[in-house]
Amino acid sequence: MRIYVCVKQVPDTAASIRVIEGKRIDERMTFIINPYDEHCLTEAAKIRDARPGSEVIAVSLGGPSARDILRSALAMGAERSLHIQSERPHDAMETARILKAAIDLDGKPDLIFTGRESIDSCGMQTMFRLGALLQIPVLSNAVDVDIQEGEAFVSTEAELGSRLQYSLSLPCIIGAGRGLNTPKYPTFPDIMKARKKEIRTLDLQDLRFEPSASSMELLELRTVAEDRTPRPIEGDPDTAVEELIRILEQEARII
Amino acid sequence: MTEKYDAIIIGAGVIGAPIAYELSKMGYKTLSVDKLHDAGEGSTAASCAIVRAHYSTEDGVATAYEGMKYWLDWANYLDNVQDEKGLAKFMNTGSLLIKSQGHDWRKVKGHYDAVGVAYEEWDNKKIEKMIPVINMWEYWPVKRPEDPAFFDPPTQKLEGGLFCPEGGYVNDPALSTHNIMRAAEKYGARFKFNCEVADIRSENNKAKGITLKDGTQFDADIVVNAAGPHSFKVNQMAQGVFETCNIKTQALRHEVMHCPSPEGYDYLNDGYHISDGDVGCYYRPEVGNMFLIGSEDPDCDPQVWPDPDAFYAGEGGPGESKELSKAQWKAQCYRLGRRVESLQVPEQPRGVVDLYDCSDDWIPVYDKSDMDGFYMAIGTSGNQYKNAPVVGRMMAELIDAVEKGLDHDQNPYQYELKYLKGRTFDMGFYSRKREINYNSSFSVNG
Ligand SMILES: Cc1cc2nc3c(=O)[nH]c(=O)nc-3n(C[C@H](O)[C@H](O)[C@H](O)COP(=O)(O)OP(=O)(O)OC[C@H]3O[C@@H](n4cnc5c(N)ncnc54)[C@H](O)[C@@H]3O)c2cc1C
Repeated sequence: MRIYVCVKQVPDTAASIRVIEGKRIDERMTFIINPYDEHCLTEAAKIRDARPGSEVIAVSLGGPSARDILRSALAMGAERSLHIQSERPHDAMETARILKAAIDLDGKPDLIFTGRESIDSCGMQTMFRLGALLQIPVLSNAVDVDIQEGEAFVSTEAELGSRLQYSLSLPCIIGAGRGLNTPKYPTFPDIMKARKKEIRTLDLQDLRFEPSASSMELLELRTVAEDRTPRPIEGDPDTAVEELIRILEQEARII
Repeated sequence: MTEKYDAIIIGAGVIGAPIAYELSKMGYKTLSVDKLHDAGEGSTAASCAIVRAHYSTEDGVATAYEGMKYWLDWANYLDNVQDEKGLAKFMNTGSLLIKSQGHDWRKVKGHYDAVGVAYEEWDNKKIEKMIPVINMWEYWPVKRPEDPAFFDPPTQKLEGGLFCPEGGYVNDPALSTHNIMRAAEKYGARFKFNCEVADIRSENNKAKGITLKDGTQFDADIVVNAAGPHSFKVNQMAQGVFETCNIKTQALRHEVMHCPSPEGYDYLNDGYHISDGDVGCYYRPEVGNMFLIGSEDPDCDPQVWPDPDAFYAGEGGPGESKELSKAQWKAQCYRLGRRVESLQVPEQPRGVVDLYDCSDDWIPVYDKSDMDGFYMAIGTSGNQYKNAPVVGRMMAELIDAVEKGLDHDQNPYQYELKYLKGRTFDMGFYSRKREINYNSSFSVNG
């Protein structure tokens, strides 16, 4: 099986975001691999390991720092990677076209993973647009994946607490959700091995893709300060526990 | 009318709080002021709070070992005070010093023998048995992952380590400081928060009190600088003090990483504190079954000396700010990853960044000053948390002796250790007038 995993670099969620020129994030801050993509890589490696002769290929579109992310993807188990070099922003329509062109150039996919969204732009579009271009099925927020002969059985989480089960023909695109697995982070030996793996560089000009008829442009990027002031739960232990349960049930909706 | 005290202590961190405690026990009416909202919320809050005996000088070892006795006897030290927040806990994991070229362990061993520190010799086999995730290959010299040589395969093994059954860390350094504050209050000590000192007032080279940023004044003939990473700024507020110190202090940025323990290994409950000069790291268990990884500041790492006010205001770019940098995250985690090959290193950095109040030779300045009545307990250089209860007592006795006429510069105060009976300590060792002490390791190891 040939499994492609689309990975994106995003700003570290623990860092304070600095916006420059009103629409760009200061590139000097810490960037990490989009957390959903870590689930993709872990799942792809698991599927690959169960099928001898399979390979996992990480794909990323971006500037030179996308290479760092690809290096991490290689440490997390991808065999090789494709870096599509570009310094300018792309909307989801164009990104999907570029990803398709790169994958077409490289080989025939049996399975494509993307994160259910990127945590910076949260567009939730690229995977569907890519699926439309490739004319293959797409499912997002997958929490369970089981690959059988020519078929993928995928569970997704729709709303809190409800799960849907699907069967998809291969090739297909699966958008990984948080519940899919616990990401397996690289150990030092994995990092050592990753240093020798290939990052194939593709130039945007060399990729033949049709520009989309319409486009979307980001006009402004503003940071929003969230109020994180903790709210004490008051009262005697019995009242406090009741209040806590109420919050977990009704506000956080996790029980 | 301005409030009048016998002594004002600037800073309610783990150094300032015990000074207030001991002075009030001696009958001094003290006021502690801190610009933050509670005790121990400055650099102390970010401390790894490791309590271990190894230092590069015999006096260093003796003081640290003495300090450990206080942590082992915490409730007693606090005079069994009640703290509504609970008491901090000393986690006595035991402490392993790996024998390597990164530490002068032979010297340390000699000091252990001289001071009477309990320790065992562990060979590689014993270490690998006690800590199954570890390998004892030598990786020296310490390098950065940007250096291709970082990835060279090791060729020889280390020679084991020195294990001290007494040693570990305090689970909540800010809370421990809060505990000391509550104990001090029992003796009448006062603490005022959200009070930023802007000036030290003096007359005829004699300390008279402090003025806060909002203009409020408090009077006292004794003023103590325990301002942590801001220590040099506070010394500059006292006329003539900064210039007459031979040893200066400056704030040094330090990153501490939290990396999950390898699958199946309960580092939190089974692990030790380990000083591993071979890879330039020290590590200890942290809640959530994490490895807390500190750096021993190897020469190849960049040193960043920010302005403490700018730093705490959140200024500075990557590698300078209060946020972890990815480069250093990789450096520290990969270094430990060599020692613990099953360690999984996440992409996203996790941990804390704070400032050391570093002195020129990484040895503190616990001393009087050239201004009468002005004292300093500064330059703690990333390694004095463990000693704080000793420092409190030592400073209080020094202040008392000098106020009663001792010429400490000529005739340094001899401090008698309370637990290690029969051992005295020449406080001239910590003098601001000393020449740089080349016996120091010039690192966090002291
Ligand atoms: C990341 C890190 C890890 C460490 N790990 C260890 C370790 O494992 N073991 C160990 O023994 N030591 C360790 N240390 C060192 C130890 O924690 C410090 O030496 C100790 O906490 C310093 O205490 P302090 O009271 O001097 O400083 P602080 O805790 O910073 O207290 C100084 C106080 O002074 C106040 N202040 C400053 N200026 C003013 C002003 N103008 N007006 C009013 N208030 C003011 C500040 O608000 C602050 O609360 C570590 C330090 C750091 C930073």
